[in-house]
Amino acid sequence: MTNTAHDVFDLTLTDDQRMNRDTVRRFTEQDIRPLAMPADVASQTPEGFYQRSMELGLTLMPIPEALGGAGVARAPVSNVLNAEDLAHGDLSLALGSISPLAFVNTLLDQGTEAQRERLLPQFCGENFVAASTALLEPAATFEPTEPKCSAVRDGDEYVIDGTKSLVPLGIDAQLLLVIAKLETDEPAAFIVEGEPAGLTRTQELNMGLRTLQTATLSFDAVRVPASNMLGERPFDLERFIDLSRLGICALAVGTCQAVLDYVTEYCNERVAFGEPITNRQSVAFMIADIAIELEAMRLMTWRAASRAEQGLPFHKEAYLAKVFCGEHAMKIGTDGVQLLGGHGFCREHPMEMWYRNLRAISLLEGLASV
Amino acid sequence: MKVLVAVKRVVDYNVKVRAKADGSDVDLNNVKMSINPFCEIAVEEAVRLKEAGTATEVIAVSIGDKACQEQIRTALALGADRGIQVETEGSVEPLVVAKLLKGVVEKEQPQLVILGKQSIDGDNNQTGQMLGALTNMPQGTFASEIAVDGDKLSVTREVDGGLQTLSLNMPAIVTSDLRLNEPRYASLPNIMKAKKKPLDVYSPADLGVEVTTHLTQVSVEPPAERQAGIKVESVDELVDKLKNEAKVI
Repeated sequence: MTNTAHDVFDLTLTDDQRMNRDTVRRFTEQDIRPLAMPADVASQTPEGFYQRSMELGLTLMPIPEALGGAGVARAPVSNVLNAEDLAHGDLSLALGSISPLAFVNTLLDQGTEAQRERLLPQFCGENFVAASTALLEPAATFEPTEPKCSAVRDGDEYVIDGTKSLVPLGIDAQLLLVIAKLETDEPAAFIVEGEPAGLTRTQELNMGLRTLQTATLSFDAVRVPASNMLGERPFDLERFIDLSRLGICALAVGTCQAVLDYVTEYCNERVAFGEPITNRQSVAFMIADIAIELEAMRLMTWRAASRAEQGLPFHKEAYLAKVFCGEHAMKIGTDGVQLLGGHGFCREHPMEMWYRNLRAISLLEGLASV
Repeated sequence: MKVLVAVKRVVDYNVKVRAKADGSDVDLNNVKMSINPFCEIAVEEAVRLKEAGTATEVIAVSIGDKACQEQIRTALALGADRGIQVETEGSVEPLVVAKLLKGVVEKEQPQLVILGKQSIDGDNNQTGQMLGALTNMPQGTFASEIAVDGDKLSVTREVDGGLQTLSLNMPAIVTSDLRLNEPRYASLPNIMKAKKKPLDVYSPADLGVEVTTHLTQVSVEPPAERQAGIKVESVDELVDKLKNEAKVI
């Protein structure tokens, strides 16, 4: 028996998790939800938003106290709850808020002591540090575990060539974790700082996630010091991808919860033929299906995160959750639009924005490492 | 200047409460509990006084069973320096709470005590006033603005006719109204740090108070459900129905 008692899946949140949730939900209600639609229409991050998100303290939580952080052990379950609650306000802004955390978490997880000491204290200061991770590539045949972007050793440096796409905060990030393959075909992660020669950043125009302002990054013989290769052991790309899948699933759950809350209220108030449209089975069943699918998405995500937090293998669970959440996030987005009818199509309601954003879930990899 | 803030654990304001089946009390099983919103405003005001350099220490006190330590921790996460729990069982009436708080006031000797004007569960609106009477300290209730000037405290109160401003000699008691401030939310690292702040637990006996009961809750019933209305075709019909059926005109 490998699954002993401590694999029992307990859904009771701890006091800490509950208190954290209260704070994050309050931030979401006050500082994300009201900004989401205007920001989407403008395709711009609201002025000062990331600075306010930093005051929440998400990024400095796992950083050791000696480096200025709160020194709380990295907790995938708490991070999943945070991502879910932030995405209830807006998927783009939630993803942008946790992008620096993905950088920090991966550095804590797989970086060297020297890299942590050099790079982490800046995240504990007063100002927001735009940091991000770059895994995805634009090739049609792209497979996240086999990046085409290459890093070739040349003396005391590595030379990076290739293209990364859908990089959150990609225009501004002065700290990037770029996933590339070595000459040995092994994957590795490189810390790219500032504005090195050969790096070109191009703003992307996407269907959704417009507020996030993702970028395509071209690396044309970009040189980084050999000491900027993350960690001493080979980079565990699978673990990085699995942990980021959990983050993406949680973001999907949060946005889908927003859809469910919205359609429930809307359909109970919308009167046709003399009664609320929820009195029609075709409407009620559709809402019930959203609730069922959403709960399954959430449970799969929480379970995988719970295993990750306990140090148990969670690769399979994270993969299953990602596939399930990717498919159902799209379906819930579509159903949300359908339930609102014409109102789901127009910009008076946030539904069309959620629909566009939820399309992205199955495309995203490597962005929200929890 | 030392500031004492009282916080109460109450049903969260978003929760739709239900009466127990036997009508003995409100059903609190599996219900989300939070810090009373007026108490949260009181904590925020104390923390602002500390940030402004006026207050040197903020102490959060709560009265109740072990569960109320969660609300003390919320106050600590918002910026209070240390906590005090006075351990009691079951519900305690305002007079007992005021006596226990008086005990804490005597122990800590704060210059200023800030309480919420009332809690959203019992809506008694008595504790602050009773504490004022018991300690013989001046009180400024329903404060919408306070300002410390030396050992004087100016309190702006919302009264029916407008705003009234009082000048109190400190030590003094203030109860907060809704518009005193807009409380911040605790940052995640501060929630964790709050765990390390000191929390003392006293029994009523430690404070020389005997917990007695003068009030008995007889029954709790939900408000009567509102009957569905009807649509009328014309003004005449409306007037007719108001006159002859509802008999209100």
